[in-house]
Amino acid sequence: MEKTCNIHTAFLNRQLNGGFCPATKHITLITSIKRRIGSSQTVSSLVTRKTMNTRTLIDRRVPSEVPMPEKFGMFGGKFVPETLITSLNKLEAEFIYALQDPEFQEELATALRDYVGRETPLYFAQGLTNYYKNKDGEGAEIYLKREDLNHCGAHKMNNAVAQAMIAKRMGLKNVVAATGAGQHGVATAAACAKLSLSCTVFMSADDMEKQSSNVLLMKLFSAQVKPVEGGFKEASSEAIREWAGNLETSYYLTGTAVGPHPCPSMVCEFQSVIGKETRRQAMEKWGGKPDVLIACIGSGSNAMGLFHEFIEDEEVKLIGVEAAGFGLDSGKHAATLSKGEVGVYHGAMSYLLEDEEGQIIRPHSIAVGLEYPGVSPQLSFLKDTERAEFHSSTDKEAVDAYLRLCRLEGIIPSLEASHALAYLEKICPALPNGTKVIVNCSGRGDKDAGMVHNQKFCIN
Amino acid sequence: MEATASITTAAAASTTKPQSSSSSLHKPYSSAQLPIKVSKLSTSRAHSRLAISCTLARDAEVKMEEVADSDPALWKRPDSFGRFGKYGGKYVPETLMYALTELESAFYSFKDDPEFKKEINGILKDYVGRESPLYFAERLTEHYKRPGGEGPHIYLKREDLNHTGAHKINNAVGQVLLAKRLGKQRMIAETGAGQHGVATATVCARFGVPCVVYMGTQDMERQALNVFRMRLLGAEVRGVHSGTATLKDATSEAIRDWVTNVETTHYILGSVAGPHPFPMMVREFHRVIGIETRKQALEKWGGKPDVLVACVGGGSNAMGLFDEFIKDRDVRLIGVEAAGLGIDSGKHAATLTKGEVGVLHGAMSYLLQDEDGQIIEPHSISAGLDYPGVGPEHSFLKDKGRAEYYSVTDQEALDAFKRLSRLEGIIPALETSHAIAYLEKLCPTLPDGTKVVLNCSGRGDKDVQTAIKYLEI
Repeated sequence: MEKTCNIHTAFLNRQLNGGFCPATKHITLITSIKRRIGSSQTVSSLVTRKTMNTRTLIDRRVPSEVPMPEKFGMFGGKFVPETLITSLNKLEAEFIYALQDPEFQEELATALRDYVGRETPLYFAQGLTNYYKNKDGEGAEIYLKREDLNHCGAHKMNNAVAQAMIAKRMGLKNVVAATGAGQHGVATAAACAKLSLSCTVFMSADDMEKQSSNVLLMKLFSAQVKPVEGGFKEASSEAIREWAGNLETSYYLTGTAVGPHPCPSMVCEFQSVIGKETRRQAMEKWGGKPDVLIACIGSGSNAMGLFHEFIEDEEVKLIGVEAAGFGLDSGKHAATLSKGEVGVYHGAMSYLLEDEEGQIIRPHSIAVGLEYPGVSPQLSFLKDTERAEFHSSTDKEAVDAYLRLCRLEGIIPSLEASHALAYLEKICPALPNGTKVIVNCSGRGDKDAGMVHNQKFCIN
Repeated sequence: MEATASITTAAAASTTKPQSSSSSLHKPYSSAQLPIKVSKLSTSRAHSRLAISCTLARDAEVKMEEVADSDPALWKRPDSFGRFGKYGGKYVPETLMYALTELESAFYSFKDDPEFKKEINGILKDYVGRESPLYFAERLTEHYKRPGGEGPHIYLKREDLNHTGAHKINNAVGQVLLAKRLGKQRMIAETGAGQHGVATATVCARFGVPCVVYMGTQDMERQALNVFRMRLLGAEVRGVHSGTATLKDATSEAIRDWVTNVETTHYILGSVAGPHPFPMMVREFHRVIGIETRKQALEKWGGKPDVLVACVGGGSNAMGLFDEFIKDRDVRLIGVEAAGLGIDSGKHAATLTKGEVGVLHGAMSYLLQDEDGQIIEPHSISAGLDYPGVGPEHSFLKDKGRAEYYSVTDQEALDAFKRLSRLEGIIPALETSHAIAYLEKLCPTLPDGTKVVLNCSGRGDKDVQTAIKYLEI
């Protein structure tokens, strides 16, 4: 049963990689690959130079006649058992319908404004900007997109409330979710409380201990929190199992930008409000677009939320920052796009951290929200097409950035967001004077104060 | 009861600043020490200060007073002496008089200055995250519907969404900006549970101003995480060992510091208590809550709110919501205090219900005192409401009958804490939970469709550990 979620893909990879020449980036035609692994089927894909064009593949609004793209280049797809295919198709149909329904859009806009507290400000970080100025007083201008000000303290709520509303529309009474650090669990539990849906959250027993305050919050929202032996991936598997067993009455609320289609697209769409607001705010503030966008990457939901709006603006640089943990060569990190290989994980083809036998490597980061061995298929695609660049920050660099923002701006960022802030150390010296840099401050860090205080985790 | 004689002349005068709305403050002057016996004041008209306002009329003075008395539009809030009726004033040692006068004139000169307003509004928008939404609490409204389906409509003013999670920061921002214009290079504050300390440290970090927060060493032990947060934000947290090593002793130290360094230092007061101009100034910085509410109410239902409900510790969040609507006689104002273990238990903080008039922290107001004028140690499960006094303007509004004040026990507040979490997915601060608890008594009495706006003054993440001890979750 385990294997349905951790699909052994070595053979598949070799087949696919055989058609891709990294040296020249020339993609050859790969004719249909129909391969049975257990009870799942790979989806055949024609990957040509033409289809690598980002413009055609990542759509924002989809007219009802055209289905949403299932894949982004070779990434994405629906690697799931047959039993789930119907539910996923139903979900996709409902999603497309909701996007075009003005009533849903209005209800969602009201919830985002009055419940979540949007729009979030685009804040000019004077202290940080001054800190990175060179001796001539020149340097980039740094802005923070304040997702930390959302209800529940992170960007997670944008997606949780929208999907909970979809669940309600579909007449489903129970919501199932899996959470690592607890942020997604808390957001889901809160949204379900508001919409009177019952909520079950699966969480690793270890994580429950480390994040006990988040567990309390979920229980206060009347959610049931069920412990699972293992890590986040085991918790996700349990959650999917629970969902698969109750397809008529339950809704699987994904918080990550990973998963079988339509999950990545749904999460991206609901998080894209971040980028849309940013465009407008940048126009108001300086009459132009941002030059550089920086976001931390766990699964990639906050990064896609910020980047998506600007993908077609080639002059806007997109930078994702992953967790390098103890260092990229230590083996204890979560830098999927830097060190991972292509494979299938949680129903989607994407980069992931796996060993030579295709087994998932347990990732590490001081920021629990970044401890994810997979990554969004859309981000994998942006990497391969070189539309975005990906770097990483170590635990220590993240903690330093955390402390720095507290001191300079009076904002306590989450350790996750701190990874993005840490990257400023490397990029700012090289940026021309007046470059407009926007960092997605994806969450607040009150939850991390204890950890930073205790220094429970070894920092190199 | 601690000996009030141990309080130095300098110490007692001032105003302290608490956590969320207010918190327990130490003992002030006992009435026995003052030259005038003020613990039992008559409330007769003859003592009214309204007679000072210059109004010429053909009619008898008494009649004029009656009109002035009953028309909120004509009330002086405060008058030139810093009084709200007989409440308020400046009961401080000489050394602080100059600082207070300077602060007052600075406030008046900057409050309408377009540059100052632009700067404050910019910070409130981009840093604090205003405007905060007026949220229709659908499930809470449903909960209070009567069997026929009628009931009030309940809205929450989401001050919990502000940066740092409470309304406190509105005032911290205003005061730091003002102090900087006065050329003060240093800010001080004292704190009990730490909320006000964190808000102060936050704003000081933002503006690059050194900040010292005084905290009793007992409190520091109980609130280690908040101490760490303040230090993270660059504030110096000084432990105070004297006395009982709690808030009142921290206040004394802070005052001592202010008196010593008054030219370079500003004392950031967090509530509408204390000597003039603080009650007025803090209210003005929080007024944005009520101003936004009026606009949002008009947008949402094309009218005004019918009832405003807010918790009252020192009274800052309540004044912030109420002030805009005081002249609107058709808007009912309700303040909810902490009844602790019960209004008759002796363990509560329901100043306006059970207190008597006296002077505390530089202002005349209602306060919890015994027959000898000694301050009664208050109690509430919520640190922010654990204050034996109350802002003088609230005392004034109570006497005038313009606002009504009730109280709610610890248990009722805990139940409300759980109720809002369960029904709306919003965890309120325990302070705010007192206001939410009052809805149980209020809603059955309200006609169908009454618009109730409740000030959700803070988020309750900080209270989860406390609540868990009492709730079965």
